Amino acid sequence: MTRPDTPFSTPSNSASPSPDAPAEPADQPADNSENDSVTGDDTNDTDQDGGNRRDGEYEHLVPLLAEFADLETGDPRRDGLRDELVKGYLPVAQHIARRFSNRGEPMDDLVQVATVGLINAVDRFRPDRGSDFFSFAVPTISGEVRRHFRDQGWSMRVPRRLKDLHVSINSTVSELSHELGRAPRPSEIAAKLDVPVADVLEGLEAAQAYRSSSLDEMLTSEDGGATLGDLLGEADAQLERVEYQQALEPLLGELPDRERTIVMLRFFGNLTQTQIADRVGISQMHVSRLLAQTLVKLRHRLEAE
Amino acid sequence: MPVASPGPSVVELRISARPTLISTVRTVASDLAGRADFDLDAISDLRMAVDEACTTLVRLTTENDTLTCVFTVDTESIGVSVSTRPGWLGAKVSTESFGWRVLQTLADEVEAHEGDPEGPDSIGIAMVKRLGIVQ
Repeated sequence: MTRPDTPFSTPSNSASPSPDAPAEPADQPADNSENDSVTGDDTNDTDQDGGNRRDGEYEHLVPLLAEFADLETGDPRRDGLRDELVKGYLPVAQHIARRFSNRGEPMDDLVQVATVGLINAVDRFRPDRGSDFFSFAVPTISGEVRRHFRDQGWSMRVPRRLKDLHVSINSTVSELSHELGRAPRPSEIAAKLDVPVADVLEGLEAAQAYRSSSLDEMLTSEDGGATLGDLLGEADAQLERVEYQQALEPLLGELPDRERTIVMLRFFGNLTQTQIADRVGISQMHVSRLLAQTLVKLRHRLEAE
Repeated sequence: MPVASPGPSVVELRISARPTLISTVRTVASDLAGRADFDLDAISDLRMAVDEACTTLVRLTTENDTLTCVFTVDTESIGVSVSTRPGWLGAKVSTESFGWRVLQTLADEVEAHEGDPEGPDSIGIAMVKRLGIVQ
């Protein structure tokens, strides 16, 4: 709610376009790559960490875990024991929170979310199941932090059901685009997912509330480079025929590569969003959002001239 | 006797000419396109085109004026006409701007109009987005 519908609604800010213009695109690619690497290696690292610390620092907590797990739900000793355990293992939560620290979320929030994960882990851990606390707590805590990122990716409150639907729609769209050689229609997506068209429409509308860089949208394609260059050449030639080229060209030059490429291919290369998505290696929905955002930016900059 | 076609459906929105209300028009546009089963590219194109057209006109009028957006939904196309009163003498839609290029790319047909349909003192943009070719 606090965030205006980013892709389009900025005209009201037209008085101060420049401050936020470079900021947004800059964190998108960074965000993506970090999501990738952090998600990729945090399990290993935290496991090792857990391993190192297991022997010393947390040794005294192990019997407390067993004791805590054995107490009945209403037992008055539970609260104190729970506090002690959470405090004792707090460095683990802080450590995991730090692994996610450069993704644009405030550190305090991350520690808080990780601590919630830790509390859940303490509450749910069953020593009699044979595994040790770390191999249970680490995934529980990082799961909580990941969920936080997933939910934070939405610029307004969207029900869980729609978020899940958004994920399945997104993957169905790319499947169908390849099969059909064009963007699918809502009816085709609905048929493929075996859900009512109304649900797909709802899911697509929810997608508008989704913040652009997300875990499911990595920049994947490296091999499209040559074709991209060729296409950009043609698009550049088109640009030369435009009367306001002089005003526009420097602004296009200021855009991050990916945004510039997308705008050029769409408006001067006449490719569809689906074709662009294919070449740039992101989803059609992502192209749609980037295009809309970039148009707003360009509009502001052109006005400021 | 063939059953008479009910003809195109019309949806008309009148908003105060303020940037914050454009998102409502945009949402209506993509809802209509989605329900007409346009493909996702076309839905997104129409959404952006409506945004561009409304933004252009909001800037050519005053915020106490009204922006009228008429959607005409037919089986194969959606027509959008956005119009308002010019905010000052000589305010008119530029067809040489980047925004116009954007509209030309996003819509299948686009034209700027003056004096129509709201009487002589009106400016507007009319465009058509077609369903696209089904293979």
